[in-house]
Amino acid sequence: MTALRFEDVWFGYGDTPVLHGVSLSLEEGETVALLGRNGAGKTTLTKLIVALLRPERGTVWVGERTTQGRSPEQVARRVAYVFQHPDQQLFARTVHAEVAFGPRQQGLDAAAAELVVREALRRVGLDAMREEHPYDLPAAQRKLVTLGAAIAQRPRVLVLDEPTQGLDRAGARRVMDVVRRMSEDGVTVLAVTHDLAFVAESLDRAVVLADGRIVFDGTAAELVRSEPRAMELGLEVPPAARLAQALKLPQAPVRVRDVAAALTARGRD
Amino acid sequence: MSVEFSSLTFRYPGADGDALRNVSTAFEPGQVTLVTGALGSGCSTLLLAAAGLVPHVTGGKCTGTITTLRHDPASPEGRRVLAGRVGTLLPTPWTQLSGMSYTVGEEVAFGPANLGWSRDRIAHAVSSALDLVGAATLIARDPRTLSGGELQRVMLAAIVAMDPEVYLLDEPTLELDPVGARTVYRLLPEIAREKTVVLASTDVDRAVDVVGRVVVLDRGQVVADGSPDAVLGIPGAVASGRSTTVAELARTAGLKPPYPLSVPAAVERLAS
Amino acid sequence: MIVVGYRPGVSLLHRAHPFTNLTLAGTVVVLAFALPVPIGPLVLTGVLVAFALVAGLPRVLATALAFAAPFWLFLTLIHVVFGDSPMRALTVGGQITAILIAFLLALTAVHPARLVDALLDRGVPFAFAYLLAATLQSVPRLQERAGAILDAQRCRGLNVTGSLWRRARAVVPLAVPLVLGALAEVDERTVALEARGAASAARRTALDPPPDTAVQRTLRWGFLAAAIAVVVARIVQ
Repeated sequence: MTALRFEDVWFGYGDTPVLHGVSLSLEEGETVALLGRNGAGKTTLTKLIVALLRPERGTVWVGERTTQGRSPEQVARRVAYVFQHPDQQLFARTVHAEVAFGPRQQGLDAAAAELVVREALRRVGLDAMREEHPYDLPAAQRKLVTLGAAIAQRPRVLVLDEPTQGLDRAGARRVMDVVRRMSEDGVTVLAVTHDLAFVAESLDRAVVLADGRIVFDGTAAELVRSEPRAMELGLEVPPAARLAQALKLPQAPVRVRDVAAALTARGRD
Repeated sequence: MSVEFSSLTFRYPGADGDALRNVSTAFEPGQVTLVTGALGSGCSTLLLAAAGLVPHVTGGKCTGTITTLRHDPASPEGRRVLAGRVGTLLPTPWTQLSGMSYTVGEEVAFGPANLGWSRDRIAHAVSSALDLVGAATLIARDPRTLSGGELQRVMLAAIVAMDPEVYLLDEPTLELDPVGARTVYRLLPEIAREKTVVLASTDVDRAVDVVGRVVVLDRGQVVADGSPDAVLGIPGAVASGRSTTVAELARTAGLKPPYPLSVPAAVERLAS
Repeated sequence: MIVVGYRPGVSLLHRAHPFTNLTLAGTVVVLAFALPVPIGPLVLTGVLVAFALVAGLPRVLATALAFAAPFWLFLTLIHVVFGDSPMRALTVGGQITAILIAFLLALTAVHPARLVDALLDRGVPFAFAYLLAATLQSVPRLQERAGAILDAQRCRGLNVTGSLWRRARAVVPLAVPLVLGALAEVDERTVALEARGAASAARRTALDPPPDTAVQRTLRWGFLAAAIAVVVARIVQ
């Protein structure tokens, strides 16, 4: 089932064209990285999904409906969007209330919302902090609060903007777990990111935008392995994949787990 | 010693625990020092303390002493004497804009102008600082229209332009793409030849290539201090997740410690 | 799009000395209250509109209209629909509109950094000059943030349309991040200023002090004289 589809979408700000006829289709449960240099059109593309922007030409489909004539708050029933900087959305007095905001806006009663919130907090590892004031938490944990709030919206599509930026390794691992679990539940994940280690570990597919056009659409591993393509994007092949290439490990693995397994196998030979 | 902490303990107002606990250490020119640890271990606080911003701006309870360039950086006299001699860079560049500049050139000139330099000297400092960080082409741009990465480079230039003796850099590449981050990291050893450069970062994978010394904090305490190999290449560092990805891989692959920290070092060990 | 704050340009006002712009705005305030009503404020508004158009700053008029419209609406309600003093509505409406246009013109044309330089040149302490300049620049920044917050909350399902009750409830998720963000920014700005040598005992260098000419000075004295003349005429009458 297609969860998200761009049909020949064009968009520009005033006289500045940003997207030139983008066509793209994401399936249920698919996890996709959206990459590109500054100004390539990544943010424009994600804002079109949630109806914060409207295509000049072409159609954006979310599930079986187009975004035509729908408001962001209507699209929010299917799509959750986690912005890059948490401080533009945190407002409640407790982590719990913050995460409950989405489900309550959707009309869930307190008891039903409680179940949803509890599960969301567990997934982002903040159960112990439910009564804390979000602004008393360090920036990295505030970021996890916004991710928890997005999970609690019970979306079919989850859009993430630089989800691992500013997190330490434990935090990044938490985000990777969340993405994997969401995907297992059939949620489509689209992540704008600069972090190829994150792409390698937890995303299936990579789409690269340049000057408003899709210039690459393939598996995440294929992108992560390609030094020239990474360089073009200002990105770096992550250390595990680089080591695998340097040692010419069979199948050129890119994930830490797979590289470790290949190294262990090599050690036994 | 340009920065010296002696038995420093600090607690933020209203906090349950100490942000720094009995920290005694010192920083000096010659090499880049990486201060690292899990988020919330006190790395940023240590930098703010060296700058005199903790406890002066943040408030809170503080015991022990901080000496920066022979002054107490939090005292009124220290703040006056150290103005412009200690360059602090926070991870969020947009909160560090002066709030009165419409071009990058003016923004970078803000610090030097505060120091009362002549206009010629300021113009020269601005253009060479922007050159150094590879942002010379941005000089006429409105800072508010820059991307996070561009802005972060500009704010580094704003510090460099004041020619401080101590650089306190808190996650200075957070907003940069990896190639940009690598470029900034490569500048640091050059600067550190004559200046004291302290880098707080959790990005150990990249930072390890440019630092000569690593200080590890855990819940506000210094738990390790030494060369990268001695601090990060040991089993304990890998087990607690504070070492590099390559060291983790080396350990899983059954190599003996000290583990290699970077890809070239690992290739050298594994290829033989 | 409504934008309050400095916008680069080459208009007559942009080329004027910052003090001249501010004196003009101050003079308009005095004239708006001292001229005979309701004709005075209305003529003043007309002159300012013409001036803004000649100076090539029509955007300012759009912004002034957006701000003034609710006032006109309420004044019409109070004095015309429910009251019987349309003259009062014209008077107050004219005064508000003239003052709005004058201040928006000054805000648009005065470069905060040049204002600081001009003040430094006259021996005003930097701390005071900075506060003034930063306040002038804070409005656009706040507008930007408010837009970002609105986007984020709508994406979480916040409904900002519909009944008055619903809209009133939507205020909290929008206002709290805006206020907390602004407060946090004050803290971080303090840190940033310290890091940029603001505590230095040295006298700050004026980077690019705006040139002041005899024409500019004469203009300022002229504005001042006009304001005083009108006030005196009013008292004598």
